Amino acid sequence: MRDRLAALMRKEYRHILRDPGTLFTLLAVPLFLLVMFGYAISLDVNNIPLAVRDLDRSPESRALVASFLASGHFLPSPSPPDSRAEGRALDTGAAMAVLEIPDGFAAALARRETAPVQVLVDGSDGTRAATVMGYVDGMTMRFSTDLRRLASMRSGSPPASGPAMVLDVRPRVLFNQELKSVSFLVPGLVALILIITSVISTALSVVREKENGSMEQIIVSPVRPIELILGKTLPYAAIGLVAAALVLSASAILFGVTVKGSILALAAMTVLFVLACLALGIFISTLAETQQVAFLISAMLTLIPTFTLSGFVFPIRNMPPAIQAVTYLFPTKYYIEILRALLLKGAGFGTYWHQALALLVYAVVAAAAGAARFARSRRK
Amino acid sequence: MSRIRCMITKEFQQLRRDRRMRPILIIAPVMQILILGYAADTEVRDVPLAIYDQDSSQQSRALAQAFVSSRSFLVADRSSSFGEMEAAITGGHSEIGLVIPPSFGADLESGRGAQIQLLVDGTRSNTATVAMAYATATATSFARRLIASATTIGAAGPAVEARTRVWYNPDLKSRRFMIPGVFALLIMVFTVILTSLAIVKEKEIGTLEQLIVTPLARHELIIGKLAPFVIISLVIITLTLGASWLFFGIVPRGSLGLLYALSLALVLSTLGMGLLVSTISRNQQQAMMFSIFLFMFPMMILSGFVFPIENMPAPIRALTYLMPLRYYLIIIRGIFLKGSDLSVLWPQLLPLLGIGTAVIGISIARFHKQLD
Amino acid sequence: MASAIEVRDLCKSFGAFRAVDGISFSVPQGTVFGLLGANGAGKSTTIRMLCGLLAPSSGMARVAGCDIAKDPEGVKRSIGYMSQKFSLYEDLTVIENLRFFAGLYGLAPRRIETEAGEIMSLTGLAGREASLAAELSAGYRQRLALGCALLHSPRVLFLDEPTAGVDPAARRVFWDIIYRLADSGSTVLITTHYLDEAEYCGTVTLMHAGRIVAAGSPGQLKRERFPGRLVEVECDNPEAALAALKADPRIEEAALFGTRLHAAIAPGAGELIVEGILASRGVGLSRAESILPSLEDVFIRVISESEKEDRP
Ligand SMILES: Nc1ncnc2c1ncn2[C@@H]1O[C@H](COP(=O)(O)OP(=O)(O)OP(=O)(O)O)[C@@H](O)[C@H]1O
Ligand SMILES: [Mg+2]
Repeated sequence: MRDRLAALMRKEYRHILRDPGTLFTLLAVPLFLLVMFGYAISLDVNNIPLAVRDLDRSPESRALVASFLASGHFLPSPSPPDSRAEGRALDTGAAMAVLEIPDGFAAALARRETAPVQVLVDGSDGTRAATVMGYVDGMTMRFSTDLRRLASMRSGSPPASGPAMVLDVRPRVLFNQELKSVSFLVPGLVALILIITSVISTALSVVREKENGSMEQIIVSPVRPIELILGKTLPYAAIGLVAAALVLSASAILFGVTVKGSILALAAMTVLFVLACLALGIFISTLAETQQVAFLISAMLTLIPTFTLSGFVFPIRNMPPAIQAVTYLFPTKYYIEILRALLLKGAGFGTYWHQALALLVYAVVAAAAGAARFARSRRK
Repeated sequence: MSRIRCMITKEFQQLRRDRRMRPILIIAPVMQILILGYAADTEVRDVPLAIYDQDSSQQSRALAQAFVSSRSFLVADRSSSFGEMEAAITGGHSEIGLVIPPSFGADLESGRGAQIQLLVDGTRSNTATVAMAYATATATSFARRLIASATTIGAAGPAVEARTRVWYNPDLKSRRFMIPGVFALLIMVFTVILTSLAIVKEKEIGTLEQLIVTPLARHELIIGKLAPFVIISLVIITLTLGASWLFFGIVPRGSLGLLYALSLALVLSTLGMGLLVSTISRNQQQAMMFSIFLFMFPMMILSGFVFPIENMPAPIRALTYLMPLRYYLIIIRGIFLKGSDLSVLWPQLLPLLGIGTAVIGISIARFHKQLD
Repeated sequence: MASAIEVRDLCKSFGAFRAVDGISFSVPQGTVFGLLGANGAGKSTTIRMLCGLLAPSSGMARVAGCDIAKDPEGVKRSIGYMSQKFSLYEDLTVIENLRFFAGLYGLAPRRIETEAGEIMSLTGLAGREASLAAELSAGYRQRLALGCALLHSPRVLFLDEPTAGVDPAARRVFWDIIYRLADSGSTVLITTHYLDEAEYCGTVTLMHAGRIVAAGSPGQLKRERFPGRLVEVECDNPEAALAALKADPRIEEAALFGTRLHAAIAPGAGELIVEGILASRGVGLSRAESILPSLEDVFIRVISESEKEDRP
């Protein structure tokens, strides 16, 4: 048994080594993605292009504009909108918000009336727009408070208390104190790498043998199904684990995202996840006759759900119940939750045993289904 | 010309035979738009909130009520100790904790100014930031109402008031923004993968050898191979358009004809990329790796699909100009949300066409009618 | 008569390895040219260069008047090619494959139908129009591949082991087709490992390790290589007999053919020396008979001589 398994694994390693392009991609691209996630990407709402139409042209109106730009959230939009079409900058996407200060702004302030300004916000991206509106509110409020305080100081009357003086809100961030998105994305990235190496590569390499007929040759040999499956899958799992370790160490070195929990637990959970992935890969390979189909099925069952249904980027609780139920069908969700608990919170097994159990069940069911279908196809 | 027709006929005959491929081509886009449409929602709402009210005064209950009635939060837990609250957050049952100290009511009454504490789970950093801002805003507006009712100076109202008007998506639905993006993503994924496989597959099976010895010219081979995918992508576009209308009631504000025409400009470049992949890879496995890693991932990340381009450092922002999806996302969101027409969209269309032509040119140049 | 194929000093290297190492030959129009050689001799590589599938490393060749390096597309218009590995679409039916290739060669739609019908009855595929290529047995796939290569009546036809896996009756049909094409002025270059088939070729060329080691008509080759006589020996201990014959200087060559031995006697020595040698070694002889050499004898002799040269 051991010899035959070794022979199969040697063969698979040769396939992999013969193909340095793929090997390189499997190891280098995750690092590239990590660096992108670390340095290039953030979901912060900053650098919002703001177009300004100042019709008042007073020192006060300029002060308001300056206070907007000084906040750090806004950047002056390169092309100020012409006065005829106020929304032109929004239409072309040159600006995401337009601040319009009407004529008479300074005069209204001088009369101690409430001076309205108009802000047009491009609501396309609702989430960002909501944050931008929050910024606008906050900034005009602060500007007002400052103005009023200044005015009362000049007139000598007692300062009115602003809301900030009445209620002091002290936030404390518990995990990921610096609120770096990379710490949040690393678990998803690790899961993604493992999915690609263990599910997709396995499914494809099995189907490839079916397609070019070499499966027939192996099946007529005394190799047992379990040996065949292990021999085909373990080499890819090994590559996946190496890539995952690479990403974890790189994110520790480059971004200081260290493992807060037990490394041993991390290793154990990762192996469990890889087992589930391999089982899924084998199962998919029994569904497909061509690599093209195998790839599309595995993309639909693993790659895309990893991005969308695992909580990697999009929060699961926003989804309607039916879709939330669907998320339980993909192993990545469990693994990402475990990774986050281990990496960022340093939580103990008590907090993630549900997920671990789910992975175990998943691995067993997928392996059984794959083995059953495989055995049936062998007899045919 | 008749040779091209011959190639196309053959491609469709093969597709008709591929019994597993056909349902995938039809079901997959619809399923994806359905799932992604529901899943790709970045709104920060219903953040599970734990409240630890140490005061239990009328004021503290009013503050808690302000959070309860806010759309952003969902009270998931009423803790009776710090430990309990921390456990709720560590276990993931709550993502934000509101701690109201024992003296809250008294402090407010006396005018000394009160304090509250927020415990935030920073794991999901982007939502955490937004949730923190929302929580602060909820508390501040509570304070503002308090001042307004208590003092007379406040009755004068603020000095400056922003009147905000939201365009295009007034109720700020994330879905309306994400679905056109998903739509773009689907077109890209399907066309890149299918074309990259199409030619490599013939290479792997050996049929390419037989094709090469015929008088079929290089451009005829390539056009013949690509044309069916143009048709398939039109089908995918139609299916996803139909599905997003049927399931989400989201229809483009702009012209449908323009949408199809500009989508073809994207398809031009994604087909080119698939072609390029198939000229550099030896087998299908390689082709898939290359198309996922070299084209799809960078495009997903650097096109502005979820991650805003403004936030990227300058050198990486420069890179985004190479992504056809970047231009197409602006186009498709423009047509869906803003009803944009060509007078607004041409600055996006030109680079899109440029990239498409360049990529196709490169891959035709690289594609030799030889086996080496 | 003009040469349909003209090859001069053609070489092909894969990295440091020379698969084809400076071969030259020419094939007159309307003849059948056999390319023979052991596995890995470079036959398929040669054909692939001549079809424009591989670019030659050096040397030149003209096929149907077109230079293969300068005008590979010109070559492609006038040739038909049947590759060694089945390379038609398994997921298309017989008739769809034929129609597809006919279309690629620019046959008019009406001609496509008549040609396809004719080809199918010629190759014995009639009645299997609607079968998928994948469902055909190996021999029928070969027939289909030949049919696809013939459809457009090419001026030059390259057949890389067309009869591998084809039953004897169908092989006869294949050769009938090949002769008919040659009679109508087409040129056929064919490789095969069936040496009885090679006898049908006007000219055969033997390749070994990328070089041509013998060329000529089958009769010519036999006369050149076996100027003396060839004796077929049946005996009770062929192994011992082989050793004995090989050791004798008057025997140029001895080889096993199944249970029999073929011994080439040096010119001038008598036919009876074989009996003498075996008797002196105590090997019981049941029959020794003078025979005409076959191409198989030639093949084995030439290859073993070249191998000796390669390892002096
Ligand atoms: N693409 C390639 N890369 C490297 N070596 C090659 C390649 N194609 C052929 N060869 C080598 O060139 C030599 C000649 O191969 P070729 O296929 O021409 O032999 P052949 O005479 O057709 O043999 P057979 O009778 O087995 O078909 C072989 O040693 C083979 O290994
Ligand atoms: Mg060969």
